[in-house]
Amino acid sequence: MASSASITGLFSRLSLLSRNTTTTATMTTTTTPRLFSTTSTSLARKAPPPAAGGSAPKAARRSRQAPKSENFFRIRTLRRNMFSPAPPPLRMARLRYLRHWTIHRAWQLFRRKQHEAIEKERSRMHAGMYNACEELRKTVGPGSRGEGYLYRVAMEKKGVYGLEGVPIEYARFQTDSPAKEAWNHDWKR
Amino acid sequence: MSRCQAVARPLARQLRQQCAIRPFTTGAARAAAATEEVQQTSSSAAAQPSPLDLDPNSVLPEFESNLIKAGKMPIGSRRRRVAMRTTANLPFEQLPYQAFQEARAILAADRQEKVTKIQEELEKISLLEKKDASLVKGGQAMKDTKLASLRRYVEQLKIQADINDPLVKKRFEDGLGDMNKPIYRHYAERKWRSYDYRLITQRIKQFNIVPDVLPKLDPVADVQLYFRQAKIPPGEIVDSLISENPPRLRVQVFDKGPRLVSLVVLDSDVPDVEKDAFSKRCHFLAANISLSPSDTSLPLSRIRADDQLAVPWLPPTSQKGAPYHRLGIYLLEQKPDTKLDVAKLKELYASRDGFSLKSFRDKFSLTPVGFNMFRSVWDDNTAGVMARHGIAGADVEFRPTRVHSLKPPVKPRGWEAKRQGPAYRHLWKYTKRIKGLSNARGWTKRR
Repeated sequence: MASSASITGLFSRLSLLSRNTTTTATMTTTTTPRLFSTTSTSLARKAPPPAAGGSAPKAARRSRQAPKSENFFRIRTLRRNMFSPAPPPLRMARLRYLRHWTIHRAWQLFRRKQHEAIEKERSRMHAGMYNACEELRKTVGPGSRGEGYLYRVAMEKKGVYGLEGVPIEYARFQTDSPAKEAWNHDWKR
Repeated sequence: MSRCQAVARPLARQLRQQCAIRPFTTGAARAAAATEEVQQTSSSAAAQPSPLDLDPNSVLPEFESNLIKAGKMPIGSRRRRVAMRTTANLPFEQLPYQAFQEARAILAADRQEKVTKIQEELEKISLLEKKDASLVKGGQAMKDTKLASLRRYVEQLKIQADINDPLVKKRFEDGLGDMNKPIYRHYAERKWRSYDYRLITQRIKQFNIVPDVLPKLDPVADVQLYFRQAKIPPGEIVDSLISENPPRLRVQVFDKGPRLVSLVVLDSDVPDVEKDAFSKRCHFLAANISLSPSDTSLPLSRIRADDQLAVPWLPPTSQKGAPYHRLGIYLLEQKPDTKLDVAKLKELYASRDGFSLKSFRDKFSLTPVGFNMFRSVWDDNTAGVMARHGIAGADVEFRPTRVHSLKPPVKPRGWEAKRQGPAYRHLWKYTKRIKGLSNARGWTKRR
């Protein structure tokens, strides 16, 4: 039975390629070609009968679990760590502690040097940009443009908020306090 | 071969190789001897336990049972014990822990940086010193300021260069630090500030030393007090028999160089019956005592020289019924390279009573740097001490004068007191217990 089913599956798939040309001897031709199922239509799983006595507990069990939110795992981790005790103190003998201290000091030193290098590089880049802008501001622009034209053009924020976009802050009036209704969910265009 | 030996073998092999490469002759030779021993024990199939196998720190697994029977439990893991056999002779900083060695390399590089910086700053200082003050912008004052700030920076760098060295830390913790070096002084000061300084400032505050004796006192040197080899915590009440002999001080200063100090022991609670007040009395006064960070011991009984001791030790005594006496030990730094005239001090303060530390400070331009204190009260030995030293007043007992209340007397109050009149005749058998006047047994107030 199984072999014949697989063969039928094969043929049914073949029938996709060359329609109406092949006919099988073992089985009557299927008018509607089935794509991904290899079982015959008589064995195919049928949809459960609606509101039958046997299928009621299954449906109930499935619905008991609340649907997991997208943040489920993050929330679970946070919950677990919220009331957990602090990790135990490090207990070390004297020389062991001294080695630990040495490594700790070296690590702190290394981190500080790294931070300082990053900071220096960033301030260097910022100063470079500042100087470039200053130079633009002082130049008398191409052709008949006046002083600072290039600077003004460079400072334009076209496309910063997306093509043809405006910042979300301008989407509604700026108020001192939040609205009574934070978001109108029923709004339709 | 047991499993743990198999585990430990590559480790031990590596250690042996490192030991052979290392230029430390003693360590390498001993390590080689140890490896020979290890090989011998493995070849002779665990017959004879070597001395290393009798040590719980380095016993091999086959000799563990012998050791346990002898009552000593092996220490640590087997892997560690095998490692200990070859590395016991390594100095601490050579121990082959990878992270530790990497850390030491980083710290050494940082130290090298600091040292080069120090050299640069020293060059700057020498250049500036040679330069004429008229060429410096701001004149002589600016030149002095610049030099001072450069020197301060160099001192800071000296500390920074050594502060990450584990061996320096270890040596300081062992008490072997050389206090002439800035890093050890820095460690010592940090330790002092973390507890003892706070304790001393608390005593200054709670015993009202600051308004009573001096208008301002912020100690910068560590002064510890010892009577008969016993350390006295600041503010302790000391038995008069113990304080009969002068104490020994342990003075640690945290800035470099020798300096001259003068020392005052002052009792600031001497009862003055005529004036109905308290006055002060000097118990010890010495000047021109030289101190430096490395010599810390200062026994008062050893200060005898003519140009040092002005007023000898007088045992602190108290009288019966008087409140405790605060005996403060004040260390005052003299101006650099100026000696006080002790003959003049002797003449000025020969009568100990009415000594004012503030005027002493102002007269000789001293700065108080160290403080410690103890207290003394009347106890069983005080009378004997006073008799031995010819101090009068052992037969006097102070009694507190009764201070009457200024409030007017209060009429009796309460349910019973209100119902004493004839209107309450029917309640009289219940109204006998009036607070302060009577109780169930009858009238208590004397008339």
